[in-house]
Amino acid sequence: MEILNRGLIHRRIAIMKTVTVCMIGGLVLAYGWVQLGLRREMQRLAFSQAVKTRTTPAPRGIIFDRNGNKIVDNRRALHLVIQSEDLPYDPRQIEALATALAMEPEQLRRRVQAIRQAAGNRMLVLLDNLDDAALARAEVLRARFPFLSIEIAPRRVYLGQDLAGHALGYVGEVTPEEMTKDPGRYQLGEIIGRSGFEASRNDRLRGVDGQRRILVDYLGREVAVFGQIEAKPGRSVYLTLDAGLQATLKAAFGQEQGAGIVLDLRDGGILAQYSSPSYDPNIFLNRLTQEQVEQYWGNPDRPMLDRVTQGRYAPGSTFKLLIALAALEKGLITPATTFTCGGHKSFYGRDFRCDAVHGTVNLVQAIAHSCDIYFYELGMRLDIDDIYNAAAKYGLTVPTGVDLPHEATSRVPSREWKKRVKKEKWYAGETISVAIGQGANSLTPIGLARFYAMLATRGRLLTPHLLYGVRQEDNGPMDLFTAPAPRETGLDPEIWKVLDEGLYQVVQVGTAKESAVPGLTMVGKTGTSQVTTFVDKSHYAKLSKKLKDNALFAGYAPRENPQIAFVVVAENAGFGASSAAPIAKKLCQYWFIDRLKKPLPPPSAKLPDEYKVEPDADSAEEP
Amino acid sequence: MKERLRALDANLLWPMVLLVVMGTLTVYSAGRSTGQASLWAKQSLWNVMGFTVMALLAAANPRRIFHSGLVLYVLGILSLVLVLVAGHRIGGSQRWIVLAGLTFQPSELMKWLTLLFVAHRLGTRQPQDLTTWDLVGTSALVLFPMLLVLKQPDLGMAVSFLPILVLIPILKGLRAKWVAITLVCVSLGAVLAWQKVLKPYQKQRVLTFLDPGADLKGKGYQINQSRIAIGAGGLTGQGFTSGSQTQLNFLPVKTTDFVFSVWAEERGFLGVLMALGLFGLVLSRILDTAVAAKSASETYFCVGAAGIIALHLLVNVGMVIGVLPNKGIVLPFFSAGGSSTLSYFLGLGVVMAVRHRAQVK
Repeated sequence: MEILNRGLIHRRIAIMKTVTVCMIGGLVLAYGWVQLGLRREMQRLAFSQAVKTRTTPAPRGIIFDRNGNKIVDNRRALHLVIQSEDLPYDPRQIEALATALAMEPEQLRRRVQAIRQAAGNRMLVLLDNLDDAALARAEVLRARFPFLSIEIAPRRVYLGQDLAGHALGYVGEVTPEEMTKDPGRYQLGEIIGRSGFEASRNDRLRGVDGQRRILVDYLGREVAVFGQIEAKPGRSVYLTLDAGLQATLKAAFGQEQGAGIVLDLRDGGILAQYSSPSYDPNIFLNRLTQEQVEQYWGNPDRPMLDRVTQGRYAPGSTFKLLIALAALEKGLITPATTFTCGGHKSFYGRDFRCDAVHGTVNLVQAIAHSCDIYFYELGMRLDIDDIYNAAAKYGLTVPTGVDLPHEATSRVPSREWKKRVKKEKWYAGETISVAIGQGANSLTPIGLARFYAMLATRGRLLTPHLLYGVRQEDNGPMDLFTAPAPRETGLDPEIWKVLDEGLYQVVQVGTAKESAVPGLTMVGKTGTSQVTTFVDKSHYAKLSKKLKDNALFAGYAPRENPQIAFVVVAENAGFGASSAAPIAKKLCQYWFIDRLKKPLPPPSAKLPDEYKVEPDADSAEEP
Repeated sequence: MKERLRALDANLLWPMVLLVVMGTLTVYSAGRSTGQASLWAKQSLWNVMGFTVMALLAAANPRRIFHSGLVLYVLGILSLVLVLVAGHRIGGSQRWIVLAGLTFQPSELMKWLTLLFVAHRLGTRQPQDLTTWDLVGTSALVLFPMLLVLKQPDLGMAVSFLPILVLIPILKGLRAKWVAITLVCVSLGAVLAWQKVLKPYQKQRVLTFLDPGADLKGKGYQINQSRIAIGAGGLTGQGFTSGSQTQLNFLPVKTTDFVFSVWAEERGFLGVLMALGLFGLVLSRILDTAVAAKSASETYFCVGAAGIIALHLLVNVGMVIGVLPNKGIVLPFFSAGGSSTLSYFLGLGVVMAVRHRAQVK
C-alpha cells in the first residue's frame, strides 16, 4: 500500500535524524568533559584506589643467652585483618562482623574508629596467630565480608616458655594511652615490649618497619608489587643470662615461691634470675580470656610480680653483715669484741630471744652461728641513722639501676623516713629489730645481691644488667655492651677480711654447713624473716597452709677468687639454712662443677670472634 | 548464498561489523580478569550466528516477514507468559528460559516482534485515517508485553519497548494536545510506578542518580567507578587490556552493562568518538532506509528500529557516565549476551531486507 502523504512522513523522519545527531552530540560533549576536562582528577582517583602503600612490620630482634643459645625467636604468623582503606562504614556490617567474631559490636566500632582516625596505613587486627582451623574459619568469614584480608606478620616465640618469664617479659600492641603520653614515638598498632627486658630494651629490639607499594584489586587483594623498602629486623640481642644456670635455678625452686639471682662479679651481668611462680610469655601474645586475666592478675600469689626486682623482703640475718660493717666502721667494736649470749636478753624493758644459747661469741662466731643477741647489742649501741648511712654508702638505699622496668627501691629505715612516712619520731627500741634485719627493713633480692657482690669484690658496687651485646647481622661482629663502671666504696680491707671470714665460717661450721659444696669454698649468710606484706596473708590462712617465715641465703663463691654472687629467697619455707641455702648450693654445683663437665659443643661453622686474628691495618682500611 | 550476501547493505554492514569487532575486543579485555576468559569466543560465536541469520533475512521478501507479524507477536506473548510461569530465576528476577542447556531471554526478541506487528498493523491504513482509538490500540499492543516484562521484573528492558511508540508522532505529527496528554500520562505513570510498581532497589537507583555522591561505597559505587574509568581514559586511553579500573575489577558488570566504560578507559576519548560516530552511521542508514522503503509498514519498522537502537545507545552510554539513571540496559553490538546479540541482528536483517527490496525493484 502506498502512503498518500509520504513527504510529511519523510520530513518527520528527517527531524528524528536531527534529534539523533543532537543526542550523539550531547554524549560526545559529556564524554569530552569527563575524559578531557576531568582527566587528571579521575586518573588520580583511579591511581589512589589501585596503588596502596602497606606497612611491613619489622621482626623484633632475636634474643640469645650469653652462649648464643636462642631463647626468643620470631616466626611468621597469619592474622585476619582489615586494611585501613577497607574499613567498613556501614554500622550493620560492623555489627554483623562483630557477631560473627563473637565480639562486642560497640568495642569493634570503637576500634574501627580509632584506626580510621589514625594516620598511616595501619591495619585492624581482628584475629591473630591463625592456626589451620582458624584459617579455615577466617576464609569463610572473608567470603561473607570481602573487606577482610589475611596478613603475614612476625610473631614472638619464647622458646624457654616460663624459663625466664619475668626477665624477658612479653610484647603487646601499644595502647592509646602510651601513644598520647609519648607522641611520635610509636605507631598505632606497633608491637612493643610490655614488660621485662622486652620493655626496658624495646628501642634496641625493635626494627624499622618496611613499606611496600602494591597494586590491589577491588577487594584490596595484592596483585603486584611496585617497589618496597624491606623491613629492617631488630638487632639480635645477647643476654648475660646463662640458660643452663637459669634452668638449674628454675628447677631448684620447683613449686616453691620466691626469687633467685646470680650476678657475674666481673661486670654485674645477671647470670640467672628467676621469680617463682613464673609465667610463660607466649600466653600474653594472645588475647586473654577472663579466666586467664583472673589467673595472672587476680591471683594472690601474684605471678606477674618480678620478685627479683620488684619484690621486697625483710632481709633477716643476711642484714647482719651491714650492721657489723656499720659498727666496725664507727669503731664501736673490734673483731675481738665479745658479747655473751644467754638465749635471751632484755633491751629497753623488752625481752628479745635468740635461737640458741651461744655463750660468749666474737663477731666472726656471731656471724657464723647467726647469734641475734650479739647484733641486738650492736643495735643498742648504733643509731638508726648510722645504719642508714652505712646502707646508703654500700648501695642499699637506691635502685641498682638494672635494665628492667619498674625496679623497686630497697628500704632501710631512718629518722627522716619515719617522720616523712609514719609522721612519728624514731624510738631507739626499734633499732634492735632493724639490727637483725627485721622491722621496717625491706630489701629487693637484686639490691641484696648487689650488696653481697660488693662484699665479694672487696668494696665495688656493680650495676646488675641483662644486656650482654648486640649483633647487627647473624654473623656480624658483636657490639658488646659496656656495663657502667663499678663504684668504689672504699671498704677497709681489714674490715672486709673479718666479714669474709664470718661468711666462710657460716658454711664451714655455722648455720649453712649442710650446704657446703665439696671441692668449692662457697661463702654466704642465711636469713630467716617474717613474711612481708606484699603477699596477702589471709590467702595462706584460707589455704590452711601454715604461715611460715621467708628463708634467705646470700653469698658468693669461690672464696679465694669470687666469680659469682647470689641471693635466694624462698617464701614461706621456714629456716634459711634448710630451704634457701640448698638452692644456692645447687647453683654453685652447676656453675663451678657440672657446667664444666659438660661435653664441648659441636664445632661451629664459624670461628668464634674471640679467636679471630685481627686483619692487618692496611687491609682493614680497604672498602 | 552469493545472492544472499549481495542482499546485505554495505553502508549499514561496515559500521556494524566495526562495532561488533570493537565490542568483542572489549569483552575480551573485560572478561580476562574475571575468570570469563573465554567469553569473547562465546560472543564471537553469537556474532557469527547473528550474521548468518541477518544474511538469511536480508535476502527474504519483507512482505512475507511482515505477514507473519501477528503469529510471531502471539508466540512472543506466550513466551513471556511462559517466562513468568516457568522461567529461570537469577538474582531475584525471572527473565530467562533454559532450553537444552542454553539460556534465552525472550524479552529481547519480543521488542522486535512487537515492532514488527505494530508496523504491519499501522501500515495497512493511511496515517490520516487513524483514529484516536487506533492509536490507543497500538499503544496497548506495546504496553501489554511491557507490563509482562515489568513483572519479571526488568525495568530497563521494559523501557526499551517505549521507542516503538515513536511511530505515533512520526505518523500524526507532534501536536500540542498529544504532548500534553503524554506528559500527563507519563507523570501519572511515574507517580503510580513509584508507589506500586518500582522495587526498592529500583527506587534506590533513581535516588542514587539524583545524588551519586551520597553513597559511594554502596549503590553509587558502580557509577562512581565507571566515571573514574572513563575519565582515566583521557584522550588516547590506557591501552588495550591495560585499564586499571577494568583489569583490577573496580568496574562492575563490565562485560554487559558497563562494557562501554571499558572501551572508554582503554581507548580514550578518540575511541569514544569512533564508536559514537559508527553508531551515528548505523542510525542514519536505518533512517535512510525508512525513507527509501517501498511500503508504509517497512518505513515504520525502520523508524522503530532506529528508535530502539538510539534509546539503548542514549541510556547505556549516558548511564555509564552518570548523566542518566543506572538501569540494567545493554549496549547493542558491545555487550556480551546471546539473546540480545541475536535479536539486534534479526532486527537489522529485516532493515536490510527492506533496503534490498527497495533497491532491486
